[in-house]
Amino acid sequence: MSANVGSRLSLLLGASLATMIALALSGSAFGSAAQSCGTVTLNEYGWAGSTANTYVAKYVLEKRLGCTVKITKIVEVPSYQAMADGKIDAVLEDWGYPDQYKQYVTRQKTVVDAGSNGLLGHIGWFIPGYLLKQYPQFKTWRGLKGKESVFKTPESGSQGTFIGGDPSFQQKDKELIEALGLDFKHVTAGGYAAQVARATQLIKQRKPVIMYWWTPEYLNAQLKLVEVQLPPRFKGCNDVGGSGGDVKQYRCKYASVPLKKLFSKEFVQSGSPAVKVLRKLKWPSNDAQNLVGKWIAGDGMKPDKAAERWVKANAAIVNAWLK
Amino acid sequence: MTTVAADRIAPTPVAAHRPWWRGKLVQVAVVVALMYVAYRIWAVEYPWPERLEWNALTGHLDAFQVWLIDQRNAEDPSFVFAAFDAIATFLDNIVNWFERLLLWLTWVGTSVAGTLLALRFGGWRAAAWVSAAFATFALTGLWAESMQTLALMLAAVGLSLLIGIPLGVVAGLSNRFSKAISPVLDAMQIVPTFAYLIPVVVLFSVGPGAAVVATMIYAIPPAIRITALGIRRVAVNTVEAAASMGATRGQLLTKVQLPLSRRTTLLGANQTIMFALSMVVIAGLIGGGGLGDVVTSGLYTSPALAVLAGVAIVVMAMALDRSTEAVAERTDPTHRHLTERRRRKLRLVTLATVGGAGLAVLIAKTVDAAAIYPATATAQEWLVERVDAALEYIQDPTTFLFSITERFGTFVVVHLLQPLLQFLVEAPWFTTLAGVTAIAFVVSGVRPALTTFAMFVAIGVIGMWEPAMETFSQVLVATGVAVLIGVALGVAAAESNAVSKVMRPVNDVFQTLPQLVYIIPFVYLTPISYVPGILASVLYAFPAVVRLVERGVRDVAPDSVEAARAYGATRLQVLVKVKIPLAGDAVMLGVNQGIVMVLGVVVIAGLVGSGGLGYLVAQGLQRGQFGLGLLASLAILALGIALDRVTQATRRAGRETIG
Repeated sequence: MSANVGSRLSLLLGASLATMIALALSGSAFGSAAQSCGTVTLNEYGWAGSTANTYVAKYVLEKRLGCTVKITKIVEVPSYQAMADGKIDAVLEDWGYPDQYKQYVTRQKTVVDAGSNGLLGHIGWFIPGYLLKQYPQFKTWRGLKGKESVFKTPESGSQGTFIGGDPSFQQKDKELIEALGLDFKHVTAGGYAAQVARATQLIKQRKPVIMYWWTPEYLNAQLKLVEVQLPPRFKGCNDVGGSGGDVKQYRCKYASVPLKKLFSKEFVQSGSPAVKVLRKLKWPSNDAQNLVGKWIAGDGMKPDKAAERWVKANAAIVNAWLK
Repeated sequence: MTTVAADRIAPTPVAAHRPWWRGKLVQVAVVVALMYVAYRIWAVEYPWPERLEWNALTGHLDAFQVWLIDQRNAEDPSFVFAAFDAIATFLDNIVNWFERLLLWLTWVGTSVAGTLLALRFGGWRAAAWVSAAFATFALTGLWAESMQTLALMLAAVGLSLLIGIPLGVVAGLSNRFSKAISPVLDAMQIVPTFAYLIPVVVLFSVGPGAAVVATMIYAIPPAIRITALGIRRVAVNTVEAAASMGATRGQLLTKVQLPLSRRTTLLGANQTIMFALSMVVIAGLIGGGGLGDVVTSGLYTSPALAVLAGVAIVVMAMALDRSTEAVAERTDPTHRHLTERRRRKLRLVTLATVGGAGLAVLIAKTVDAAAIYPATATAQEWLVERVDAALEYIQDPTTFLFSITERFGTFVVVHLLQPLLQFLVEAPWFTTLAGVTAIAFVVSGVRPALTTFAMFVAIGVIGMWEPAMETFSQVLVATGVAVLIGVALGVAAAESNAVSKVMRPVNDVFQTLPQLVYIIPFVYLTPISYVPGILASVLYAFPAVVRLVERGVRDVAPDSVEAARAYGATRLQVLVKVKIPLAGDAVMLGVNQGIVMVLGVVVIAGLVGSGGLGYLVAQGLQRGQFGLGLLASLAILALGIALDRVTQATRRAGRETIG
């Protein structure tokens, strides 16, 4: 009896392979029917602001334009290839990846720059408000000099700890610390969620914190973060850390960048009415997005509900996108 | 604790065996002491010299990626890419079809059909697990997401076994093939998934197909390895007996070796499932969807929901694990003797199973169960509230718990990690290199020492010396802690069936829990870099150590134990002087596996503040710096190979002396 098992096993393997092939071939029959607007695939990135954009756009496209919106959650760099493949139609908040932009947008033209989403992204060094009250000189980087040990933590020895950001975000703090001659140890906090966890925990204890952070971000109001002034920008100042060269070329504050929308070439050429609307989609200010972000991530509101609430309260703005 | 004492207790087979580590431990200590002296004299003076670095490498790799992407997105891409596209579409379709089927059956149909199938082929316990799993998916309000993940896993596990089992059979029959693929399998398991996500996306685009490919790369090795092991374990005399009766090679394989290794093969299937499920979150990053997405986006929008999704993944893993195991036991031909009557009865039961499932689907369809469930039957809000309350407590820095965890974290950093890190990063590169090579030589011999030397030089040449030393220090601490905990629990589990029963689900939970979920709470508890990552690595690695040590201690030859007892040794004496020394091999294998597992979570640890190579790999993926990410991954692999050789060679040597 047991002798049969071997052949039965191979039969089973063979049969399952055959089934899989059959399934795969029949799978193509499930293709979605084209409607006037059809399906639009938006990609959401891993931070609250991106969730806010995506769901506001989803609400508008579905309720006002009759589209079906699918949301994917591909991470940043792979999402460029996904757009080139036409698997994602649009990304609504791109913080700028110079190499990818050059390759996909400028050279290949498989991804299309669809203009600003109305937000002004800005990276900088941030400290909690209570610390500024205690040390008013921390308003600018000069005040930090000689006071670095205020930020001492177990892992930094005699130096102060500077908390670095998510590996996916552009940063040049190591170079900047060196160029400014500050006695900080650059310590990475890890991903976005981990940095939020660490920062909120330290701030709850009213400990001194200095870290890489940015705006727009709903948490800034909640944590009462203030920015430390860094040296002004000069021509040719470099923001891309790790690109080598003399550290002096990094010695300026980060540039403020208008955040972009990116579309896939296929989507632009599809003639979908959603293209026009998404091109016009623009937040009135960073604060508006922060508000929706706070509803979602701070107050635990479902993204769909938060989007509905904002769209209903800002009908004039939304109507302008639809014109 | 001299060998003389052991001799007196158990003069039988133990007498001749002198544990390998008695003298070597001292030698290793001497080497470490010398390294320390060098560190005291020349600290910070000799970092890895820049002229020994091959700096252009990163640029070349980046250029290669740019070229590849340009080729792929060209107006008329080469047929190679068309082939990859076809594979991706094929995989997409399989996953989509499974998902549609599961959703079409509705939650009632899927649950009933799944439970009845488990009942028919696995028995009551399996059925209970399966129905508990479906109940969890429904109650957490994550039914659709769970089905998406289940579909992805069915495809990934099914294909992994389709490829892995035949390859495993070949590896079991041919030593040469086995040797040839072994390093490939090592690389597949140690190189962090993050490193090859971009190449996978370039070749297979994003979506379920790409997620299946990424999962398979990680889940195939155990299928191959364990199948090969099973084939090899079939007793030589059985094979010879069959051969002498004139069986052909094909007959040998299908009638003797495959049937007899069946149970081990199913264990391989089991491990494949576990490995595949630990990839759900990462697969989500390139379009895997399902529960993985809920975890990632939950981390910043609703941590409680992320926890629920994590629970759903764990429950799915355990249900799949328990039911495959039950099926394996029940259908094992060596234990099952079917009479004609029983066979007929079973056929009826099968028929009833199919009928019951069909009926359930029919009823579900007529009452439109799909419309009922999402609105009323979930306990998601209630659960989220409870989990939120727990998280609230964890995130409150004024609690008693925090005062302990923070102090503990600070202690570990100040007294353990920081000194070790400084020692490894600041010591002159040549003494570190000489030191690890000497240790490898002392512990394992010439060839492992040469490999270790080559690996560390490679790490330096690709410009990863400093981050690698940072990671190295954390791997040492994490492995040390994991081995301490693992050996203690493993011995306890071997000695007591009760402990063993408790440990099993604990092990499963820690091995499959999507690591990100359980790390973030640690960040709140010990807001200090390194510590959350170390804790995560320990939790992920110690179950493997427990399992191996438990098996090792349980497998100690009963005659040695009997002999010791006959000489009047107490239970403790038997344990300390006979069982544990004789299980030394298993302990070393545990250390070895512990290291591999710790290296497996280096990237995740990097994402919660461990820095080092893990952070660089993540940066490589997320900022599109392919070269950087790949080199950091290779450094992790080199570190893994070096540490593996140091520990694995001992195991081989040990096995030879024991025979």
